[in-house]
Amino acid sequence: MKAEWQLAWRRFAVMLMKELKQLGRDRVLLAFIVYAFTADIFLAASGVSLSLNHAATLVQDLDHSPQSRELLARFQQPYFRIDGTVSQDAAALAALDQGRAMLVLSVPPQFGRDLANGRPTSPAMQVDTTNSVLGFLATSHAQQIVSQYGLESAMQRLGMGAEAARSLPQVQNDIRVWYNPNQEDSWFMGIAEMLNIATVFAVLLPAAAMVREKERGTVEQLIVSPLSPLGILLPKVVSMTGVILCGVALSLFLVLIPVFAIPMKGSLLLFFTLSGLYVFTTAGLGLFAATIARNLAQAGMLSILILAPMLFLSGAWTPPEAMPGWLRGLMFASPLHYYLDIAFGILLKGQGLADLQPAILGMSGIGVLVFGAGLLLFRRQFD
Amino acid sequence: MSDTIIKASGFGKQYGAQVAVQGLDLDVRRGELYGLIGPDGAGKSSLMKAVAGVLSFEHGQLEVFGQLLDSERHAEAIKGRIGLMPQGLGQNLYGDLSIEENVDFFARLRLVPRAEAAARKEQLLAITRLAAFRHRPMKQLSGGMKQKLGLVCTLIHAPQLIILDEPTTGVDPVSRRDFWAILARLIAEQGLTALVSTAYMDEASRFTRMSLLHQGRKLAEGNPAQILQQAPGWIVQCRVEPQLTAMQRLAVCWPQCEAMGPEIRLFVPEADQPAARQQVVDVLQGLECQQLDVLDAELEDVFVAMLGGKQNAATVPVDLLAHTRSELAGRELAIEAKGLGKRFGDFVAVGDVSFQVRQGEIFGLLGANGAGKTTAIKMLTGILPPSSGSGRVAGADMQQAGALIKSRIGYMSQAFSLYLDLSVVENIRLYAGIYGLDRKARDVRLQWILDMAGLHGHENALAAALPMGLRQRLALGCALVHQPRVLFLDEPTSGVDPLGRRAFWDILFRLSRQDGVALLVTTHYMSEAEHCDHLALMFAGRVVADASPQQMKQQVLTEAGQLYRVYADHAAALVSPLQAAGFANVLPYGSALHVLTPDVERLQQVLRTLGVERPPQPRPIAMEDVFVQRVSQLEAQSQGGGQP
Repeated sequence: MKAEWQLAWRRFAVMLMKELKQLGRDRVLLAFIVYAFTADIFLAASGVSLSLNHAATLVQDLDHSPQSRELLARFQQPYFRIDGTVSQDAAALAALDQGRAMLVLSVPPQFGRDLANGRPTSPAMQVDTTNSVLGFLATSHAQQIVSQYGLESAMQRLGMGAEAARSLPQVQNDIRVWYNPNQEDSWFMGIAEMLNIATVFAVLLPAAAMVREKERGTVEQLIVSPLSPLGILLPKVVSMTGVILCGVALSLFLVLIPVFAIPMKGSLLLFFTLSGLYVFTTAGLGLFAATIARNLAQAGMLSILILAPMLFLSGAWTPPEAMPGWLRGLMFASPLHYYLDIAFGILLKGQGLADLQPAILGMSGIGVLVFGAGLLLFRRQFD
Repeated sequence: MSDTIIKASGFGKQYGAQVAVQGLDLDVRRGELYGLIGPDGAGKSSLMKAVAGVLSFEHGQLEVFGQLLDSERHAEAIKGRIGLMPQGLGQNLYGDLSIEENVDFFARLRLVPRAEAAARKEQLLAITRLAAFRHRPMKQLSGGMKQKLGLVCTLIHAPQLIILDEPTTGVDPVSRRDFWAILARLIAEQGLTALVSTAYMDEASRFTRMSLLHQGRKLAEGNPAQILQQAPGWIVQCRVEPQLTAMQRLAVCWPQCEAMGPEIRLFVPEADQPAARQQVVDVLQGLECQQLDVLDAELEDVFVAMLGGKQNAATVPVDLLAHTRSELAGRELAIEAKGLGKRFGDFVAVGDVSFQVRQGEIFGLLGANGAGKTTAIKMLTGILPPSSGSGRVAGADMQQAGALIKSRIGYMSQAFSLYLDLSVVENIRLYAGIYGLDRKARDVRLQWILDMAGLHGHENALAAALPMGLRQRLALGCALVHQPRVLFLDEPTSGVDPLGRRAFWDILFRLSRQDGVALLVTTHYMSEAEHCDHLALMFAGRVVADASPQQMKQQVLTEAGQLYRVYADHAAALVSPLQAAGFANVLPYGSALHVLTPDVERLQQVLRTLGVERPPQPRPIAMEDVFVQRVSQLEAQSQGGGQP
């Protein structure tokens, strides 16, 4: 019995070493992995922002009164960037059409006089909402500015100073921001991108390693040997999991923590253990791709087909509550959905095993199913 | 217009620091079938591409159709008159298009007028006998048919010069003969000139003239007779007991010595026939010599003799393999197939295959492309489960003891399945680990494999960097790392040059004789089939003949008669009249014809009426003749079955 285990271990060890050596000699792939886990995450974290930033704004001031200047001056950086003025309606529309401006603010003639005389008046804003999120943000920011200005000028007319505002019967909005106190997009984007990249490689690397063997014909040599299908697969998946965990460590300790100051609230050990479990089980999808594909190109395309819905349904972009019911059901079938909960939970919230139990159960359940199905398909192709 | 089609002087091509061709002169005349022969990396492909105007070169001059190829523009001017078929089966064709669509596509690409293209297409499809399959997609064609389609597409724009780069590699002997016959006919009828390269030395005699290339230089040039004179010598074929001792003695004196089943064949570089015979008899003093024939040398022997001095094939120290497992070398059964069958959906790949292989025997599985050889091997090695039948391999039942069998067999596939990104030593260690060898055993085997394959000095080279011959021996070493009792080899020599092939067979011979390993081999090289102790011929998924090479030859001699070689000025033109006169087995063989007939008197008479005075000369029949005769016969019987 002992000899049996020794033999199995020896086979596992040589196959594992083989996989690592092969990967190590594929300079291009290696460079790509390093790039994806460092530079790409840096770009995503620093470049992609979900908030309104420097929206290109044109103003059309038809009044030129102190009041109109006061209002326009409140449209400020970092949300709005005043790029210039237009005088004609047609020119304003053209600027929107051509994408030179995202917003056009128009102050009607006699705005100042109407305000002083206590007549209602309304400045106009035209918004390019091609990007619906940004459009929505621009509108709500602008609304806030205008209503604040309206309130202040009304009080001024009533002869009350700005300090009198506090004595007004008003509902105060007191928000407490948890987990990401400065509401840094980079924290969310950086971590989400890292998890996405880990997912992409978890599917792609084992699929590529398997298909390469098929293409070269070496897989036949392995089948003829006393290796079992699991003996061929396991070293591949284990080695790729190790490589991906190294990548995750690279992006955490080289990019996310030093550059973006992401706090490591929870246990690193727990995070890496669960990441390992996630990557290992997700590899089942890659094996599925490798079973069907005949060459590397096919495997790559199949992986993209598998990955695209997985990433969109992960909940990184839209929380499940905001999705239509049937999509929400699908979402609970995506292992990445649970992994996101786990990763954000540990890294930002400092959650422990107890808090994460449902997510861990969900991820393991689906992962085991996925890996099992991949293994079954893989074995079947040789019968 | 002058009669010279291609003229090269001092031609040279370099890839970076790597010199591919150097100081080469070439002169190809109108109407010639000119051959370029040489091992891998001799520079054949570079030269052919340069002639076709698709590869620039650094040194010397190249003139095609009197046009100096010194610029892109000048090269463009001749391309319309040239047809190029690149290396690789069906490489320039489109798999999803049918035969007809492929031909039409090339016609339009070459701007051939519609009416002319249609007429030419019909004519070429008729000559190549592809017309019946015109709607079949290219990817479903057999290797031979793909090659013929490639030729049709190359010829559709009526080129005056065609350049074919290894058109017959990977094609079975029957399809190969067919291809050469068609090519000979086209050259004769259409006034073509052809520049052709080949890796099969036995095809060299089909060329009008040829150049033997080696490492970018020309070793010899001329017609077959002239080349034969450059290395005068005789082939001695003998049957001596004990064979192994005789081999050892002879190999010391004449390195060009190989085992052919129970016989030994060697090249004696000695102009005088009786002297050659006497020398061999002297060396064999004291051994029991049962038979000894002295025959004409073939071109392949001469090539190997010429190359032999230039390139040191790994020579295996004789006692290397001597840690014997001779207890196996009894007459114990190593492989026994009983009615094995494999079905893929409706398609029957292997029908009902039965044969036996004993320990210490070299068993050859022959057959055309798609006859089911690879499928049969895959079933016996456990890669594919059989649909029907049973078998025993290495002393265990196929169905019940798969794992046990796997630890006792070795397998070497067509593609030399090595990990190209691992080094020589890493490859060996990997397989040693997979087969569960411990560190000590592993190091012993590692040394053995390095010795056996002549890989010393290459230990840390990546497998990808090895030349084909070494790669093949490394693959063999990996398959032997666990000292298997039975070794399966699926076309182990395709793509390897003749010297490499000979060294390889030398190793296989020793494995079988000294270690008692049973070997099951498939091959397309019929000269290699002669090395086997026993042969099984597969046709359409069945075994149709099962005998020793000698018995197979004898059978053909009894059925179809003696083999004669007919020399004539326009031999190719005699094929149809001879067939009309009732000689079924007539095939062009270079500038001569091969005819199988029991009645030489009548052959002579018919030849005289055709104006050929020179009497036909009897030749010893070769395995290739046997194979072609057998398979043609079977194809004729199964006509209507869809195979051309």
